[in-house]
Amino acid sequence: MDRRKFIKTIGVGGSVVAFSCAQKKEAEEIASRDGKTNPSEFTWGKAPCRYCGTGCGVEVGVKDGKVMAVRGDQASPVNKGLLCVKGYHLPAMLYGEDRLTHPMKRGADGKSWEKITWDEALDLVAGKYTEALEEHGPDSIAIYGSGQWGIHDGYAALKWTKGGMKSNNIDPNARLCMASAVMGFVTQFQSDEPMGCYKDFEVGDDFILWGNNMAEMHPVLFSRIMENKRNNPNVRIVDLGTRRTPTTDFADMYIEFRPGSDLALANGIMHLLLKNKQINHSFINENLVFKRGIEDLDEIGYGCYGDQAEHYTFKDKLRDASLGELEQFLEDYTPEKVSEISGVPVQQIEALAEMYGDRNRGTVSLWCMGMNQHYRGTWINNLVNNIHLLTGKISKPGSNPFSLTGQPSACGTVREVGTLSNRLPADMVVMKAEHRAKAEKIWGIPEGTIPAKPGYHAVDMFRALMRKDIKVMWIQTTNPWVTVPNLNRIQRKPGDGTFVIVSDIYPTPTTDVADLVLPAAAWIEREGAFGNSERRTQQWNKLVDPPGEAKEDAWQIMEVAKRMGMGHLFPWSEDEWHEAMFEEYRSFTTGHGKDLASYKQLKETRGLTWPVVDGKETSYRYAAGHDPYVKKRSGVHFYKAKEYGERAAVIIRPYQPPPEEPDKDYPFWLCTGRVLEHWHTGSMTRRVKQLHQAMPATYVEMNRSDASEMGLKSGDRVRVKSRRGEVETVVRVDKRGKPPRGSVFVPFFDESVLINMVTLDAMCPISKQPDYKKCAVRIERV
Amino acid sequence: MIMRRRRWIRTGSLVLGGMLMFTLPSCSRDDSEGMVAVSGKPGRMKSAATVRAERRAFDGAPPVIPHEQFTADCRSCHTPEGLEIAGVGYAPPMPHGNTSGMSAISRCRQCHIYSEADDLFVENGFIGLRQDLRHGRRLNDEAPPVMPHPTHMRENCLACHSGPAAREEIRTPHPERPLCRQCHVEEVTTDLFVRS
Repeated sequence: MDRRKFIKTIGVGGSVVAFSCAQKKEAEEIASRDGKTNPSEFTWGKAPCRYCGTGCGVEVGVKDGKVMAVRGDQASPVNKGLLCVKGYHLPAMLYGEDRLTHPMKRGADGKSWEKITWDEALDLVAGKYTEALEEHGPDSIAIYGSGQWGIHDGYAALKWTKGGMKSNNIDPNARLCMASAVMGFVTQFQSDEPMGCYKDFEVGDDFILWGNNMAEMHPVLFSRIMENKRNNPNVRIVDLGTRRTPTTDFADMYIEFRPGSDLALANGIMHLLLKNKQINHSFINENLVFKRGIEDLDEIGYGCYGDQAEHYTFKDKLRDASLGELEQFLEDYTPEKVSEISGVPVQQIEALAEMYGDRNRGTVSLWCMGMNQHYRGTWINNLVNNIHLLTGKISKPGSNPFSLTGQPSACGTVREVGTLSNRLPADMVVMKAEHRAKAEKIWGIPEGTIPAKPGYHAVDMFRALMRKDIKVMWIQTTNPWVTVPNLNRIQRKPGDGTFVIVSDIYPTPTTDVADLVLPAAAWIEREGAFGNSERRTQQWNKLVDPPGEAKEDAWQIMEVAKRMGMGHLFPWSEDEWHEAMFEEYRSFTTGHGKDLASYKQLKETRGLTWPVVDGKETSYRYAAGHDPYVKKRSGVHFYKAKEYGERAAVIIRPYQPPPEEPDKDYPFWLCTGRVLEHWHTGSMTRRVKQLHQAMPATYVEMNRSDASEMGLKSGDRVRVKSRRGEVETVVRVDKRGKPPRGSVFVPFFDESVLINMVTLDAMCPISKQPDYKKCAVRIERV
Repeated sequence: MIMRRRRWIRTGSLVLGGMLMFTLPSCSRDDSEGMVAVSGKPGRMKSAATVRAERRAFDGAPPVIPHEQFTADCRSCHTPEGLEIAGVGYAPPMPHGNTSGMSAISRCRQCHIYSEADDLFVENGFIGLRQDLRHGRRLNDEAPPVMPHPTHMRENCLACHSGPAAREEIRTPHPERPLCRQCHVEEVTTDLFVRS
């Protein structure tokens, strides 16, 4: 800027802005107030952010037992000092005035609450579980957990359920969130979780976002890509979506496809890669096998209709296939045919294939709920992983398929500890005898304790509760009455003969239907650890006391277990158990390529990405020179895939149509999702003034032409109605996102507009993850 | 609620840009100096420090956007030099430089949000850290003060320390010298040097 002009500007401004005495007075007054304004008198502690799977490092400023500020942790390799608006407003999340502070039992009238002591509450829980186990057996109890559980909470729950109560009925909300990504990695690499890390965002060239509104949902990671783009103008962002979002504004190419047709699109890309000879033959010959699963639509179904509406199970069987078979299979997926299915112009399909095929550029595929909450979620995960495998663009800095997680410890707790109905820690499963034996040995419990049959997956767990097959269910750190799909099926009233316990920090629609509510300690009110999307385990210390009598989830579980005669599972001192429990859990992981860092090392660092061998973290799994388990000099080694000869599997998967599509009666697609300001069901973020006031209520986002044809404008009230249920909300046109014609979007954070009354409970047959992204609705003016 | 607030913004005489605006009452050096008129309440004034505090949850939290969005791109008004907009006010520049390798030019609204309502979902007892308004320490009266706050996300000193939006008590007397860091250093520790 021209200096003279600058001074002139200052001069003009200076004459306008008044001189302040009052400000000085206020400044002196504030400064003298008990030193409260002096940040140096704060204690700053480290913690990962409470909200999403990014796992930003925050420093937490505490004084007089209260959190008064946070700041982005500049020492954190995740966020390098930056946060998003949710993160910057973290501390207020703890101080909503309706924090749950005492155990509360439902009164005899089925409505009121009665304050009880912890002893009474724990005895009651232990009694209910013991009674159900004795009278109805281990299939009649359940625990429904969370990707927001700390590692200790999940481990305690897993050990108590599988090792104590001899039941596999433990499943988390992450089943609704990440299960398809898990099964994608497990079916192809026989080991869960991504091979890449966040450093990919600085070194990649092309970032292909598969149904991933990263600018709102993983804003800090998106900033890393944007910084890469600022430094390297050749960096490209491709936004593949079913609606325009704030991410689209920053994309070099926007590709809009019909819901579900991503299956065809991915196959179409592979068709072109093969046709244009852009696959990497030496990589394929050295590292891959080919497989093909069950494709019969009648056999698979969607998990929600007819016989499949209860007790839905499906088991895929993979048989050997070949590159030749893949080539033949892909003959159907010509660009023209794919264009017809997906609505994507041939040119865009070709451009996308060209990006993946370009050997000189690093390509990172990113996804989250778009691919996971999908009626063929595992398939689409397989197909995108296939593209990376066929081109050899995997386990390389800047070239990886990268599934982002939605919850802070979906990876650390659910996927690594294995708090799923079919899993055990460190990639083990209950179906395998040697896995059960290993867990039984580490836990010091008799052989044969852990049952071989998987328990209920999340959706079926709630169906079983309504069937009263489950007599007692304990829900921790999650709010299923705002998230379980097709909520009409889960209309529960307290005192219906089953018993539901909810541990949470605030009242929610889930505590509204509970029989017993237990107050939980949140985030830095207790010691804990999370694991984020890039395999980084992050530990934090307790920094403030929880309010009232609130207690952490793991403590609640251990106390109940002790009262059920299962205290031997938790033999640690009551004051000092976090490290001991973690170290026991860690013994599952060492030597298997899932090695976690020691608790001591985690305390001293901003987290480490596993496998951590000899104290050193691993940025790129399976890659020579990075992963200590790879003994080759160069290239990759998929050493976890023992059953595939230590090779990764390319799995042939077809396109199949969605379970429900718009028609004359229900002419719109409905997609649901999150917004920047709110975390999941809003039980924490809505209690933060700034976040609530920026996003006070949900809405239905409509295309401008659709709205005007119906005579609707922003602010008009409408009903969103499906074959299952309806909600009333307001229309929004051209605000944040822009759906195409014939499509609407509704955020799910608002407990007064339960959009899960409307959604379909169809699910991926392999991961059992429900599809919240596509069903048919109509819009009616109210 | 939403409508009421919108109207307030559109019709109100006070359009707030960044920190302070042209709408500050001109006044002599008495107690009303440095005060901002409270909209709709004639005669009621607030100090600039209060207005600043009201716009953020605590010192260090990103301020909320205090005006209705005027254009899709915030940077068309919040230019590197700041921009006077006739009849509206002064849009101050951003204090963000390129922070720790993170882009300061990515997406303003991932941190700065606009308030659409003024109710609360539930009352909240959070008390945020107040701004530390003490002066930076200096060796003697003639020495340049050290910076009394961290510069993370605030690399562009002149955004806050000069121009119409700058509060009087932190305004630099020498805005023509833009290389602030040649004289002012950030105090990253209060420890003294010890030979090891």
